[in-house]
Amino acid sequence: MKRMWWLALVFIVVLILPLITGEFWVHVLVEILILGLFAASFNMIFGYMGQLSFGHAAYYGVGAYATGLLMVKGSVPLPICLLASMIVAGLCALILGYFCVRLTGIYFAILTLAFGQLIYYIIFQWYSFTGGDDGLQGIIPPDVLLSANAYYYFTLIIVVAALIAIWRISESPFGYTMRAIRENTERTRFIGINIRRYMLINFVIAGIFAGLAGALWGPFNRSIAPDLCTWHQSGIPVFMTVIGGPFNFFGPMVGSVIYTFLMAFVTGFTEYWPLTIGLIITCVVLFMPGGVLGLCEKKIRVFRSRAPQLDPIETTEGKSSGYGG
Amino acid sequence: MDVSLLIAQFMSGLSRGMMLFLIASGLSLIFGVMNILNFAHATLWLVGAYCCYTFWYVLQESALGLWVSIGLAAIALAVIGWIIEVILIRRVYDRDLPEQLLLTYAMVLIVGDLIKLTWGVEDRIIVRPNLVSGPIFLFDIPLDSYFIVVILVGISVAIGLWLFLQKTRYGHIVRAAVFSREMVSALGIPIPRIYTGVFVLGIFIAGLAGAVQAPVGSITLGMDMAIIIQAFCVVVIGGFGSLLGTLVGSIIVGEVYAFSILFWPQGALVLIFIVTAVILIVRPWGLFGTPMRV
Repeated sequence: MKRMWWLALVFIVVLILPLITGEFWVHVLVEILILGLFAASFNMIFGYMGQLSFGHAAYYGVGAYATGLLMVKGSVPLPICLLASMIVAGLCALILGYFCVRLTGIYFAILTLAFGQLIYYIIFQWYSFTGGDDGLQGIIPPDVLLSANAYYYFTLIIVVAALIAIWRISESPFGYTMRAIRENTERTRFIGINIRRYMLINFVIAGIFAGLAGALWGPFNRSIAPDLCTWHQSGIPVFMTVIGGPFNFFGPMVGSVIYTFLMAFVTGFTEYWPLTIGLIITCVVLFMPGGVLGLCEKKIRVFRSRAPQLDPIETTEGKSSGYGG
Repeated sequence: MDVSLLIAQFMSGLSRGMMLFLIASGLSLIFGVMNILNFAHATLWLVGAYCCYTFWYVLQESALGLWVSIGLAAIALAVIGWIIEVILIRRVYDRDLPEQLLLTYAMVLIVGDLIKLTWGVEDRIIVRPNLVSGPIFLFDIPLDSYFIVVILVGISVAIGLWLFLQKTRYGHIVRAAVFSREMVSALGIPIPRIYTGVFVLGIFIAGLAGAVQAPVGSITLGMDMAIIIQAFCVVVIGGFGSLLGTLVGSIIVGEVYAFSILFWPQGALVLIFIVTAVILIVRPWGLFGTPMRV
């Protein structure tokens, strides 16, 4: 119940925030939301399924290009574009995921990486259709969403709806099956669960949400470029998730807040952003496995275990929320 | 299609393949023994190229300047590799795969920016000594004479590594560690020391490769990004931990690239990723690897 209060508080803050900050920070907020959804979709593969995808930007980029092409070349209304992006990214994830889920561990990571680069080079080289490395310009959102605040609220609604959907999936029997596969694949297979089919479905769902996040990016940035599909872009959700904490549902979002704010702040006075984020990631990996939320949970647990224990069940099990279990 | 053009293209593919072999052999060795996929391998390769430039810049008056700088750069990289191993890699030996991967990925970003801080953003060019500046003629076909240097270095490293792995005691230990680390450590061999040695050796070869690459064209920031993915492809095609596989894989990738440039320029890199994906799906352990570790 206590968590509900927190959520309500956060929700009120995100509603008011754009009204009191300048336009620059509203843009940063939109970026946080979009990349947060991207990271949350990535964490469906990383957090629940226990596999590291290094080509998740492929679906993000495909989603961005689907919306971009439909809007620039077909003048299709934005809501239909978003839907189309989800479908196209999902189909892409279905075809490529069919092969990816046959592998695990390092092989999974490299195959997703190879497929991601494959998509990148296709978009990069297919000049007549995608505009190659010139990208696509002039992706203008409809008139009602032209102002920064309007686009922020639009993005907020879609991202929150998508996060609720991901949350419901993670708490469904399907979500628990994914956790079982992560914890003990062999045993889950013995129960009679078709591992590959479940992993593929999860992969496709993750691809669909990544496609939605990508679709939101184009109209926000007014243009897209093939860089959206590179392995550097694929690294961003990995970083966010690791900073925030992969074993918590809110981890990717918290990671996105930290990462994007920091980037907006640091790039203000130095061009050495990669150095900064590299050092941060190194510190997180070495000293803080489990991310910021993991650390918070541990501290809370230590704090609670010192206090007189009134309700032992609450202290041992109650706090482990989200993906970790 | 002219035969001489095909031969020239073949030689250029071979030299490209040899360069990939020099990078991928260290990558494969480190992964085979330590189970760590070093994302930063090509970035350290680039450091080798820049180091070579600096040494050459100091020594350019002397006759053997370039060749001495190549050697010095390789040694410098071995020292850097040792420092990285002791400070960073050693701490994540028994962590999960994603954490190890992330650490080396973070190293890509850190080292990349350190290169920018040290050598600046403009391209660096090494003026080749006369011996390798002009073309040489093979059956009347003009070839870049420096290609021969790259190919020779590649072949010598391949033979050297093979001799090391097959004929020396340490080589035997390294090969045994690829198959079973537990068994090797049960025999009383200090695994951490083997790890450090292998990592330093891998980075030494990467540094040598970078130094050899330096005079090929200009040295540019970001050169490492394209090559690391191709090196991954080589290692996947050949099989992790297999020296022969890495050699065959790099020649395949080098030649596929060289010939598709000729016939289907847009598809050169696409083709490499397709080949890699097919091999991963059909034979995840590669052409010459053994499907031992899951």
